[in-house]
Amino acid sequence: MTRLTSALWAETLKMIRSKVPLFTALGFSMAPLAGGLFMIILKDPEAAKAMGLISAKAQLMVGVADWTAFFGFITQAVAAGGLILFSITTIWIFGREFSDHTVKELLALPTSRETIITAKFIVILAWSFAMTLLIFGVGLVVGTLVVIPGWSAELNRASFMNILGSAALTLPLMSLVAFVASVGRGYMPPFGWTIFTMVLANIAAVMGWGDWFPWAVPSMFSGAAGPQAAQLELHSYVVVILTSIIGLVATYYWWRHADQTR
Amino acid sequence: MNYAIETNGLSKYYGDVRAVRNVNLFVKQGEIYGFLGLNGAGKTTTIRALLGMIRPSEGNVKVLNQALGPGGRGPWGRVGHLVESPSAYPELSVRENLDVARRLNGIQNPKVVDDVIERLTLASYADRKAGTLSSGNFQRLGLARALLHEPEVLMLDEPANGLDPAGVVEIRELLKSLAQEKGVTIFMSSHILTEVDRLATRIGIIHNGRLIEELDTGKLEKLRSKHLEVQARNLKSAFINLQSAGYKPVMEDETILIGNAQAIEHPDAVAQILVDAGTPPTRLAVEQQNLEEHFMQLTGDPK
Repeated sequence: MTRLTSALWAETLKMIRSKVPLFTALGFSMAPLAGGLFMIILKDPEAAKAMGLISAKAQLMVGVADWTAFFGFITQAVAAGGLILFSITTIWIFGREFSDHTVKELLALPTSRETIITAKFIVILAWSFAMTLLIFGVGLVVGTLVVIPGWSAELNRASFMNILGSAALTLPLMSLVAFVASVGRGYMPPFGWTIFTMVLANIAAVMGWGDWFPWAVPSMFSGAAGPQAAQLELHSYVVVILTSIIGLVATYYWWRHADQTR
Repeated sequence: MNYAIETNGLSKYYGDVRAVRNVNLFVKQGEIYGFLGLNGAGKTTTIRALLGMIRPSEGNVKVLNQALGPGGRGPWGRVGHLVESPSAYPELSVRENLDVARRLNGIQNPKVVDDVIERLTLASYADRKAGTLSSGNFQRLGLARALLHEPEVLMLDEPANGLDPAGVVEIRELLKSLAQEKGVTIFMSSHILTEVDRLATRIGIIHNGRLIEELDTGKLEKLRSKHLEVQARNLKSAFINLQSAGYKPVMEDETILIGNAQAIEHPDAVAQILVDAGTPPTRLAVEQQNLEEHFMQLTGDPK
């Protein structure tokens, strides 16, 4: 436990000193701010037109200006944005050790490699959770400031659970990003991987196989892929969990057995 | 016998490339072992294998009498290392980088960081971000991390890289005192032959992945010693005359070598003896073969 605490301390310090928390938090905060803008447009389209804002696009995306639509927009943003921003966090935490050639300082230590990887995954989990709370918190503030109608404690609770669910389905996919960052020894291969899986997720959703494709599941859950959440059954959650396990096992195995020549 | 570092038939292949071939190393405790080789000779691959960073294709490695296990398990709390160029987290300060290393090494006492900063004269840079350090100070940070936990074995790849001349002397003295006063075993690779020559108590030369020669203290002393080289038209007679005069000449490649201090200090006396005996010298020179020449002779052959 002491070893894990030390590794966690080290990973947290590296994270805090980097610009990743700032940029990912800013990126995630964009979603509720954009949602708030759409709400303003939807509430008074004529005024928005007069201001030079195009309201047709906003109406297409969220329909009416109420808390249900606003929370729905944030949930979708967590699914789509989460895949990108959680990936950026993962890519940085794993890939930077190779790009900065610091990995060799992590290999011959009394703290085992497995402990260090576990600490890395915990920091990814913690920061992703913090970002999800942030997006919800900023959403509440923006929604209150914009004065959106239709808030209720029940809707608030259900939406919070939806947003958390969306994040919880995105996070397990990060284990394979960590694996690709390790095997690819840097930033570019996992970036490529993230884009590749996002494109495939879109294709899978369009072809009607999204519920079997782990990278499409978060957006289907959030409703970003259309009103299909009802289609998500047990098998969709199982493929996400299986993908996560494969990624975790592969990452631990690789760190334990691969030759480290950087 | 218990060795600080031991390899038995260590080989590492990358496909068809034989990076290291059947290397048997036995480094005793308190030794300063200089590991020499050209670029790509297999130095870094060997050091990485000694640190469990790569798995040997054949053979095995023991450090502090412990065989390296899967996942690079080894006695790392007692081993300090600097592999290839030093590295550090650029956004962390020198102190923070060392504090990360301290915690990962399982050291509770935070004072060790200040101590090693002081020791490596990094105090004025302690709160500076590692990414802004000069290459010399970056190297010092790498050495500080290697020394932080007062290891029993130090494995250093090019420890003098990037250091200014004063820094080179300082680090040499530091390593010497660690070995002599604390019995720390030092395994260091270097391109700077004079540096290795000054520091090492034993030298291994690796070439094309093979350990082609080991020079122990005796051989090194011989290599470092001066001698008088004599050539004459009648070499045999000159040799006998020098023997008769009480010197202990040795014949090597059409040259007489005399190692006596008296001959080295007074070559004129040697010349006088040869002239008087009717075998005047055609060449008389005090020479000192150095490690560099020896190394070049050994590794000059392309294969």
